[in-house]
Amino acid sequence: MIAPGIKRGTAELAVLSVLEDGPLHGYEMARRIEEQTHGSLRFTLASLYPLLYRLEKRGWVRGAWETSGTGRRRRCYRLTAEGKKKLAPIRQEWAELFRALKRLTKVSHA
Amino acid sequence: MHDWEALVRERLAGGSFELEELREVIAELGGHLEENFEQLRQRGLPERAAVERALSEVKDWQDLRRRIQMARGKEGSMTDRVRQWWLPGFVALFLSVMLLMANELIGMRTGIEPLIVSAHGSQLSAPVAVIYVPWLLLLVPIGAMAAYLAGRAGGSQRAMFLSTVFPVLPHLGFFLIVFPVVLILDDHVAHNIMISGLFMSLAAWVLLPGVALLAGGLPVQLLRSRRPASA
Repeated sequence: MIAPGIKRGTAELAVLSVLEDGPLHGYEMARRIEEQTHGSLRFTLASLYPLLYRLEKRGWVRGAWETSGTGRRRRCYRLTAEGKKKLAPIRQEWAELFRALKRLTKVSHA
Repeated sequence: MHDWEALVRERLAGGSFELEELREVIAELGGHLEENFEQLRQRGLPERAAVERALSEVKDWQDLRRRIQMARGKEGSMTDRVRQWWLPGFVALFLSVMLLMANELIGMRTGIEPLIVSAHGSQLSAPVAVIYVPWLLLLVPIGAMAAYLAGRAGGSQRAMFLSTVFPVLPHLGFFLIVFPVVLILDDHVAHNIMISGLFMSLAAWVLLPGVALLAGGLPVQLLRSRRPASA
């Protein structure tokens, strides 16, 4: 399991990355992240929505109400052009961090 | 059938959301909880356990409300800090000072003396502490009021605590800064008297009022912290 402090730092990257594949609503986003990280990263309602609103305020994601086939209304988030632009440097920063940590701690599978 | 939106509305109450914004947040969070609940039910969880599991995603609704407001640019503003800390704190300080003055004036007119406690027990020689018992008793509801005002404005547990003890903070500052300076600079008073005087004054003006304020504030804080979790 990954410690909460480390998870907090990765949250933006996780959300932006998962939205890169297409628009998602909050619950689906949390599920997708959990599945794709094999449960290492898990977003709860309390951790996800403040982050989504923050990203939306920055203009990196945009939320819009949509009605699903079952008639349920959900707020779907999609990556904006600004968000796409931000994703690359964030990814690069994390990759650099992982490389640095790998060198420092000699973790073979970081 | 659970009304998840009503549940979220109840728990997010008291925030400084605009109406339309609040409606959107409630609908979105309610939808998330509902979907989570349905998934848990599909996995075979009994209804009660599914509700509990869905709700366990939020440990502290007040904190969530604050973080949502902050994320949407509502918190961190001076207005919120004023409502959640400065205003309750200053109201408590003002009432505390007014009541202390009233206590002194009424005492002078009626001849009721404050309680004078000496470091030497029954022998009333310096250093002494003057304790206004009616004032201390009145600090209990003042502490409760400060905590209530801070909590009602959506303040955190820390804000509620600080608002409660706000009236003694100036005294504490005085004793921590001014008194030691006087102790060093003033060579007219024997240091043994000054040091015991410091502790006696600290007890009379900081510790006892602090305890009285917390006796009122902490139960309110406790009730407030339990409310969202049990609802």
